[in-house]
Parts: sequence; structure tokens; C-alpha cells
Amino acid sequence: MNGSELVPLRGGWSRPVPLLAALALFAVLPAVLAGFDRGYLYQIANLSLIFVLLSASMHLVTGVAGLLHLGHAAFYGVGAYTAALLSSKLGLGFTATLPLSGLTAALVAFLVALPTMRLVSIYFAVATLAIGQMLYLVMLNWVELTKGPNGIIVTKGLELFGFSLSGRLPTYYTVAVVVALCVVAIGRLSHSYYGNTLRSIREDDQCADAMGVRTVRLKMEAFTLSAFFAGVAGSLWAHMTGYISPGDFKFSESILILAMVVVGGLGSLPGAVIGALLLILLPEGLRGLGDFRNIMVGLVMFLSILLLPKGLFGEVSALDFARRQWGAAWRRTRGGEGIGWR
Amino acid sequence: MTMRLFGLLAAASVGLSGTAFADTVKLGYQLPLTGETAQYGQDFRKAADIALAEFNKSGKPFTVEILFEDSRSDAKEGTTIARKFVDNKEIVGVLGDFTSGVSMAAAQVYKDAGMPQLSQTASHPDYTKISKYQFRNIATQAQEGPYNAKWMLSKGYKNIAIIAEQTDWGQSVGAGFTDTVKAGGGTIVFSEFFNRGLKDYRSLISKIERAKPDAIYTGFFYEDGAQFLKQVQQLGIKTPVYSTSAAYSPKLLELAGDAAEGVHLTSNFLPTDPSADVQHFVTEWKAKSDGAVPGQFPAQAYDAVRIMLAAVEKAYPNPTREKVRDALAETKDFPGVTGKTTFGPDREAQKELVKVEVKGGAFVPVAD
Repeated sequence: MNGSELVPLRGGWSRPVPLLAALALFAVLPAVLAGFDRGYLYQIANLSLIFVLLSASMHLVTGVAGLLHLGHAAFYGVGAYTAALLSSKLGLGFTATLPLSGLTAALVAFLVALPTMRLVSIYFAVATLAIGQMLYLVMLNWVELTKGPNGIIVTKGLELFGFSLSGRLPTYYTVAVVVALCVVAIGRLSHSYYGNTLRSIREDDQCADAMGVRTVRLKMEAFTLSAFFAGVAGSLWAHMTGYISPGDFKFSESILILAMVVVGGLGSLPGAVIGALLLILLPEGLRGLGDFRNIMVGLVMFLSILLLPKGLFGEVSALDFARRQWGAAWRRTRGGEGIGWR
Repeated sequence: MTMRLFGLLAAASVGLSGTAFADTVKLGYQLPLTGETAQYGQDFRKAADIALAEFNKSGKPFTVEILFEDSRSDAKEGTTIARKFVDNKEIVGVLGDFTSGVSMAAAQVYKDAGMPQLSQTASHPDYTKISKYQFRNIATQAQEGPYNAKWMLSKGYKNIAIIAEQTDWGQSVGAGFTDTVKAGGGTIVFSEFFNRGLKDYRSLISKIERAKPDAIYTGFFYEDGAQFLKQVQQLGIKTPVYSTSAAYSPKLLELAGDAAEGVHLTSNFLPTDPSADVQHFVTEWKAKSDGAVPGQFPAQAYDAVRIMLAAVEKAYPNPTREKVRDALAETKDFPGVTGKTTFGPDREAQKELVKVEVKGGAFVPVAD
């Protein structure tokens, strides 16, 4: 045996984080929620999870692929409107609307991405700003289809193949399972050779192009995939609240999601999750401060960017963390050097 | 990460556990105290404080406490607050929210929990249809539209242009008005919706003028209204402008100046009304706002709070959410500053309307 031989690292206690996270999400947190039995806490938990998904999906396009996206909330809205319209007009349940919402958002994203993907940096950002505004205005002004500003009442709650999941705990579990699956999928996409390729585009797209990376195609994939996950989040929101209107998906929501990704750490998936939790839970926790709470939230954001410009959980430490704790077939030489992706 | 979540959840839950006094009844009020529509929410809180202080000073066998929560006119915050209010077993009734969108999202929670909800402003046609727990203290456009249509037809205006903001409320402005105009032999020569907060109305105004209307009917709030009227004046257009009670605010006169001169609109609150009730409210309001005169919305909020308090009093002793709901539903000829209010079986407020014209920089009631 020589020092450079690769040995696969097996799971178990050498990597406790995935296990602990699953335990917290599916056992401890629901037990605490059930213990308090307050609709308020369930609501905050569900809302946080939905924004974790939105933030994670934006992480893929803005953090990993480096495309500044200012219209993400619009795809969240496309998903929510797809779910609301399919359920109110065609009577479809959550089981059907969940994937269809994601696919519709992805399709719309694909179509609008076609003409914009050759734009770079700030020009792309402005294009996504315009896309977000256009989709928002469609929701607001296409009154025949979307009922415009009147919004849509969604009478069907969460269900799975006809079984109602509308109680407090079942709703939480549904949201938690969907969000967890999506975040794991986003994790696999961003912590892989695929993710590395996206990062190479972010760092220098011309260089990546010269190396044979199909930059336009990959950017498009990242953009479309991210819209898919945002659409899934939209479907969860529509069925959970029972009423949606265009105001839920306006520009300020895009900025909120962007802030989550940036505060958490650009390019860092754990950072995106932490950023989402922070920016949903902090304003709720500070309710006691009355009119000053938004100033406090602003101050926390300002200080976190000032003192931790790489984010609360920066990309480098996030990648290291993901490699050590998440990779199932990550190999390491006997000398302790690591290699590869899982 | 998980610890952080628990810590914050625990911190959030501290606010829920209030101390209970046998003789204190609690109400919730969700409203935008910060954000883009904060000016309305702050006014509502001021109006509610006035109404509540009076009630608690009037020697009732119990006192009432109102818990205010800031929704920022954001549906996700609105539903969270609704859950919070529902969890608090001491709360027997809820006031708010400001916009229809947030009121309706929160109403989905109140519907399931059986919590009576009384909004001072939610004007969406479907709001009160959500369940038997939704009430509102605002004349809807279903009532105001036909009233204004008849008024304009009686002035001999046959060709009418409509513009309204692109919101659920703006939609109802057009819908309620158009049918009556057509039934009365008039024609809608132009109709368009604009997005709230539009700065430049000139292209819209030229389009209206191209349609050559006898008069323009408008659905806007005072901020947009002032912009519109100023630009109408700048373009030298003399076509008469009519509007709804939503534009009835002293701030319209302040912002539009003499461009507001000659505007006709409806209202159900006149701060110049000599009745003791109205003058009392106006005096209290001026004392709290550097001498400013209250507009239509604060008056509606003031009455909404008093209607809710009257319902709580009726349900006392041992008021429950169900008893407060039933008491609200029985509200009949409640003497408020916005006229007498009766809730119909559809939980809509039937209001008396007054015709007003802007003359010499003031709102002056007119007979026709």
C-alpha cells in the first residue's frame, strides 16, 4: 500500500451532519411544533421552508453560475399561478399541480432565456429584471386568465393521490419532504463536476468557452432548472395559503430572495439556507420592536455584509463542508488529501 | 443552524403568551405599520387608539385591549399574523387588513378558525363571500358605482370615459359603474386601467381626450389622483372629473392644489358635519396629528373599531369568537361618523353617501 491510494470514505458517524439535519427536520422540529401546537409556529416553519427552496434555487443560478438574476420571484409566481389555475379551473389536486408548476415555470424560463443568454453581467441582470416585470405585469393585467389583481382563491389544500394532507402536521411534513428533496437535488447539482463547470463559467466564461465548455447551453440549463424549483415553491405556497395575488410575486420578493443568497454567501448552498432562515425568522422574532423591526433587519443585513462580505457561510468553507459531510463516495488519499466530487 | 432556528422560534413564541385578566377582552388589528402603505396603517392605529381610549373610559364592566401587528401589506406576513391571532385564545375578534389581497389571504385562516374579521377598507367583491366570518365597513363599488353613474347621467353626461387603477378595487370601480351607465342610456367611450404609482398620465389623458367624453370617471386614491389632476390641468383640459370616496382625503387638496378645483366625488364622511360625534372625532384627531383633518379611511377605521367594540359589549359577559360574530352580524343602524351602518345578510355595510365638490380649496357638499 502506498500513500496515494484512494480509499472511499463510508458514511456513519464520520459524517453526522446529513443524519442530524434529517433528524432535526423530520423528527425534532415536528415534535417541537406538535408540542406547542400553535398554527403560528407551523406557519413560520412552512414559510421558512418555502423560502429555503426559493433561496436554494436562486443559489444555483446566481451563486454557482454567477448570473445576477433579478426576476426570480416571477417564476415563483408562474408556479403558483399554474397550481392555482389548474386546481380552480381543471380541478387538479396538489399531486398533479406540483410537478406541472415546476415544469411550466421551467418552460417559461427556457423560452425567455433563449434570446437573453448571450448577454453578460449587468446586461443580463437588467434583462432578468425586465423578464420579472413582464411576467408580473402579465399576472396583473391578463385579467381574463389570472383574474388580475383580484387574485385566485385555491380551494384545494395539500393532498397526495387523493389523501388529504391539510392538517397542521401533514402540511408541515409535505412541505418539508418536497423542500428537502429539492434542496438535495440542488446540492447534487452544485456540488459536482457539473457544478464546477458552472463555477468555471462564473469565474471566466471566455476561458471556459475556450476550454470546450458549452457556456450558453449550461447557463440556460442552470436558469431553467432554477425556475423549475421556484415553480415548485410556488405550488406549495398556492396550496398552503389558499389565496394568491400578483402582489406576492413582485420585484421586492426577487430582491428578498437575492438578499438571502448574498447574506448567506454567494455560491454556498448551506449559506443560501441560512440566509433564507435568517431573513424570514428575524423579522418575525423582532415583532416586539414594533415599527423599528425593519430597520433592525436592515441593520443586521448591512452589518453581515460589511463584516462577512463572503456571507454567513462562505463558498470556500461551504464547499469544504459539503465535501466532508455530504459526499457519499468522496475519496481521500491515505495522506489525508481529498479528491473528487460526490 | 438548527439551534438558531429553535432559538428564534422560541423567541417568536414569547410574544404569544400574554397575561390574562378576567375583565380584559382582547382584539387583534393587523395593518401595514411599515412599508409602502404605512401611511394608511399608521392612520388606522391612530383612529383605533382614539376609539379604544373612549371605550375604556366610558365605565364599562370590562376593558378592551387591541394588539396591533404590522403586516407591511404583505400576504405572507398577513397570514402569519392571522395564525398568531388565532392561536391566542383570548382574542375574540380581528380588525384589518388594509389591502384586499392581504385581507383575503388572512381570511383563509380566519375562515377555518371561526374568527370574526372586520376590515375597514377591503373592497374586493369576493372578500365577504369567503365565509360568514368576514365583514367590512366600506361602501363597495357595487353600491357607489351605480350611485355615481346616476349622478353623472342626471347632469346630462352621456359619453363617459373611465380610468381606474389596476387593482382588485379598480376593477370593481369599472364594473359597478359601467352597467348603470349603459342601462341609463349612456355610453362608455373609453376605459383603461393604469398601474398604481404611475408618474406620467399624459399619454393616458391624450387617449381619453381623443375619445371626446363629456366627463371622466376615475378610480384612484389621493396620491395617484393628485398626479392625474395636476397633469389634466397642465394640458389645459376642462372635461369634468368625477371620482369615488377613495380619493376623498384632505391630502388630495394638499397635493393637487387648485388642480383639484371642480372635482366631483362621493363620500360618507364629512369632517365639517356639525354633529357632536363627528366633531368629537375631528377634534381628537387634530390633537393627535398637528391639526390635520381626518380623511375618509381613518373615519372608516374609527367606525370599524367602534362597531367591533359594540359587538364585544353585546357578547359580554364571556364573549367568544362565535358570539362576537353573531353580534357583528346583528349590527343595525350603528351611528358612526361615516353615517349609519347596517350589515346586510351578505355582511356588507350599507352606507349613506354624500355628494361633494371641491370649491375654493375645500370639499363642499352639494345637492346634485
